Amino acid sequence: MTGALTVARWTLKEAGRRRLLLAAAIASAAFVALFALAFSFLYGKAKQADDTSGLLTLFAVVSQTVLGLYAVQFLGAFLALFLSVGSISADADSGALHAMLARPIRRSAFLAGRWLGYAGLLTAYIVAMSVALFAVAGIIAGYHPIDPLRTVLLLVLESLLLLSVGMFGSTVLPTLANGVVLFGLFGLAWLAGVVEFIGNVLRNDPMVNLGVGVSLAFPSDALWRGASYFAQSPAFISDTTAGGGGIPFFGTAAPAGPMLAWAIAYPLLFLAAGLLAFRRKDL
Amino acid sequence: MSQSASADGDGRHRQSGDPQVPGSPRGPVVRTVALRKEYGRRVALHELTLEVGRGEVFGFLGPNGAGKTTAVKVLTGLVRPTSGTAEVLGRPAGDSEVRRAVGYLPEHFRFQEWATAEDLLHFHGRLAGMPAAARRSRIPEVLELVGLSGRGGDRIKRYSKGMTQRIGLALALLARPELVLLDEPTSALDPVGRRDVRLIVRALAGGGVTVFLNSHLLSEVEAVCDRVAVVDRGRVVASGRLGDLVGPVAQLRIAVDRVDRELLSAVAAHGEVTEVEGTTVTLAVDQLDVGPAVAELVIARGYRLYGLIPVTASLEDVFVRLVGGETAPPDGRPPAPGAVTGPARGGGSRAEVAS
Repeated sequence: MTGALTVARWTLKEAGRRRLLLAAAIASAAFVALFALAFSFLYGKAKQADDTSGLLTLFAVVSQTVLGLYAVQFLGAFLALFLSVGSISADADSGALHAMLARPIRRSAFLAGRWLGYAGLLTAYIVAMSVALFAVAGIIAGYHPIDPLRTVLLLVLESLLLLSVGMFGSTVLPTLANGVVLFGLFGLAWLAGVVEFIGNVLRNDPMVNLGVGVSLAFPSDALWRGASYFAQSPAFISDTTAGGGGIPFFGTAAPAGPMLAWAIAYPLLFLAAGLLAFRRKDL
Repeated sequence: MSQSASADGDGRHRQSGDPQVPGSPRGPVVRTVALRKEYGRRVALHELTLEVGRGEVFGFLGPNGAGKTTAVKVLTGLVRPTSGTAEVLGRPAGDSEVRRAVGYLPEHFRFQEWATAEDLLHFHGRLAGMPAAARRSRIPEVLELVGLSGRGGDRIKRYSKGMTQRIGLALALLARPELVLLDEPTSALDPVGRRDVRLIVRALAGGGVTVFLNSHLLSEVEAVCDRVAVVDRGRVVASGRLGDLVGPVAQLRIAVDRVDRELLSAVAAHGEVTEVEGTTVTLAVDQLDVGPAVAELVIARGYRLYGLIPVTASLEDVFVRLVGGETAPPDGRPPAPGAVTGPARGGGSRAEVAS
């Protein structure tokens, strides 16, 4: 355990020294500032318009907030991808890994330490960003989503899922190949989410089944849909889905229990597989 | 730096709180039996069997790709052997307790460039289970030992290749290991750096630390090692004390103004003429102390003597004979002209062996 914590600390130190933290902080601050500006602008326009039902304002507020979170989701996913793809393979290539693992530390502790360090970074990033976005919407427009806490938890879970799969890949694949595979899976899951949505609109079962199948194989987009569902307001959802439609990139229902359980088990399985692969690996 | 190297003579003196190391003090520090490693269809190690005793400086010598790095990686537990056994300090290689007592310098490495040398040393000290106080006292010591005093706060990014290698050596020595595995430790060093490494290795051995040195540099092995195993294509092709390997063959190289039948028959009284090249005659002799007699004989017969050079076979000769693909004469004499340039021992033996 001390070995894992030593490695986790080292991982955080690396992020600090390589100015990853600084760059992320500056980019995030700029992102939140831009979001606040655009949000207040749009909210003001909607209020001025002839909006007796309040629907236009509602639409502006919710879609802005969820789109902002959508961007956070992508940023968090990319951060998870960038951190994880070379988490083992890059050190193996440089030979630094050999020196570290010749020490009396278990390989599982090493991998767990790396995971903990990255997971801490990702969690801090996503929590800070999504809390900032919800705060902007709450302060400017008094917006109350269904369950912002669940939104944040699901977004964190998604990034940890990507991290775990990426770290598993890093124990068996070279950095670049791992990045290509992981990015491909992430894109595929996104596409499948849209296919499933359209399938639902068109009442086309094969399309729905395809989307569900891919979501089971790689549940990143399913987690986003869950997170985005909880970030909307009940009135907005009932309004947009009234005619059987909705917004193709937003979730329209709370995630099903089994899917959620699978999405929690999924990163754990990959982490376990990564530990097994790494323990047996010749370096 | 050389002074500080000898200051580490107490390398075996462990501080309280340091992990105690298993293994009987009497048994070999490294022992492998029929060690085999296959990577797919490529066989990196065939039936490698060797023993290294405590306090020995053991040279593992072979061309690139001979399996030296694989052998060391098995000893550190980084690579699992396909079959056979590998023991370090009486326990299975790669055992966590064993790794506490082993210092390792990998062959190719680029340490984390964003870190300073001290960051890296503290991190490795933690991984090795060294308490903070032990790290604080030991880190300046090892930096001094490798000649990097005062540079510990610099980022590794700013280090030259040679300095990086010195940091690698400092890491290997950090936790006061009982066994140090050095994989090509001087590949990036200039002559001064190489001499420094020799002094460090000698000082370690003086303090009872066992050193396992992988090298394709004959000069390095010749200069520091007590015992050598020559490895080629995953097999040990020769091993033994350096003196035994290099053998008793002594030669006199006689440079004169002219060579004729009369001269050859005259010098043959003191040995066997093995080579005539231009006006230089090589004479295999039992004892090099026949030199003055040979000189008198040559001058007395009216030849002009330009040089009389005693030569012992160098490790390079042995090496080339064993792995160079040249067939050695059955009588153990030095190989035919062209196979070896045949420099005087110690003179030109800093040759690298082609892979």
